[in-house]
Amino acid sequence: MSADLRPHALGDSAITISFGEERSPALLRRIHAAARAIMRADIPFVEDVVPAYLALTVFYNPLNASYDGLAKALVDTCSAAGADDAEPPTREHVIAVRYDGIDLPAVSEATGLSVKDIVARHSGRTYAVDILGFVPGFAYLSELDPALQLPRRAQPRPRVAAGSVAIAAAQTAVYPLDTPGGWHIIGTTTEVMFDPRRDPAALLSPGDRVRFERLT
Amino acid sequence: MDAFALQAANAILGNELDAAALEWALGGGTIRFERDCGCAIAGASVHATVGGRSIAPCTSTIARAGDELTVGQIDSGRFLYVAVSGGIAVPPLLGSRSTYLPGKFGGLEGRNLKTGDVVEVTEAALPFAPVHCSAELIPRYDAGIVHVTPGPQENLFDDDGWRILCESEYRLANASDRTGYRLEGPALPKVPAALPSEPGCPGAIQIPGDGLPIVLMADAPTIGGYPKIAVVTESDLAILAQRRPGDRIRFERASHDQSRRALRRRHADLHAIRQLALSAR
Repeated sequence: MSADLRPHALGDSAITISFGEERSPALLRRIHAAARAIMRADIPFVEDVVPAYLALTVFYNPLNASYDGLAKALVDTCSAAGADDAEPPTREHVIAVRYDGIDLPAVSEATGLSVKDIVARHSGRTYAVDILGFVPGFAYLSELDPALQLPRRAQPRPRVAAGSVAIAAAQTAVYPLDTPGGWHIIGTTTEVMFDPRRDPAALLSPGDRVRFERLT
Repeated sequence: MDAFALQAANAILGNELDAAALEWALGGGTIRFERDCGCAIAGASVHATVGGRSIAPCTSTIARAGDELTVGQIDSGRFLYVAVSGGIAVPPLLGSRSTYLPGKFGGLEGRNLKTGDVVEVTEAALPFAPVHCSAELIPRYDAGIVHVTPGPQENLFDDDGWRILCESEYRLANASDRTGYRLEGPALPKVPAALPSEPGCPGAIQIPGDGLPIVLMADAPTIGGYPKIAVVTESDLAILAQRRPGDRIRFERASHDQSRRALRRRHADLHAIRQLALSAR
């Protein structure tokens, strides 16, 4: 069962457990279930878990933990967690967007679609929150309409404003903070994606569903 | 950025090693104490005085009410840490008292300190005898040698990649900040394509398409798509953090065991200094 789970040290105080090489919704569900199982299992020295597409990483206190012992306990916990493990309730979010992004003309040119068509395709489907990462509150949403899928910009911008709604490859996202960014900006929202005083601080959680609604 | 200097400055005052302190970069300046307080500096090399008397780095001293701590230009290194007995009393947020500038939260109103700010300090007993951190415990900042352990995607790079990483001299690029330090020097060959986003950590060495390493620093993203050939050991991340743009850096490979042993030894040493400081207050 655990033959496909490979632990690897990530520096002195983290262990990355790889679940496979091929990205899929089923693999992602399995990784999230394993991450929940690790947090529930109360394994000594474990401090945090970060799930991603092909792996999860566990941060731990390295001063007392034995790496080998902890890696084994984590692999065991991950392999015992099934994908049908009780999933947390999912929430539905509607995010109002003003489609006024600086990259709309470039996206229109690259895709051959009119701006009206781009807006209709982006706001016309429901996205799943795959993972959180990059900066606090940044949610990777999938699956973008195939006709809108473009590689990232060749040159990332040094600053993308908080609230920018952007697309890249098969994903879309809202920038929660002013950060550098390489995605194509198609709109803006006033929704607060991350508030450290809110619980949970991030508006979106893995498994949640998101729809974008066009503001006129 | 320099966890060693933060922990050492706290240890010699008998504080918890991760108590909040001031991280000081760039120019000089002055802090006035409004009440008696133990204080210590560590990290970058500067000339500093308290009440007009020069103070040694990594040594506790007492500032009396009305005394000024004056810090000159940083001579070498990048970040100076100023710790006070009891620690800076800002409320913890998300389990931390750190300032996260990109998110504009944490610390004091989520921003850099500015002239005129008043910072509260948690009450603590004053040291009655100076405590210092011996020179052999302080990282060899000037040598610029940084140990690295193999990263999770190590097997995606061939021996050439490792040889270039560990046998070349790199220089810190200007475009280096709290999120990542970019390095200039020989590019790694045969860089694998970007991967689906995967977790990273401070110290992780990413190799983007141009083959030039980027080392993730204190404000590292939690996940990213570039393959990570290696991770800077937690003990040596302090050395890298204190390098300035243009400074030389060399990487040396270490095993995970060596790296963890070094980290534990350092923590035991700092803990012993803290016990000494607690008995001296």
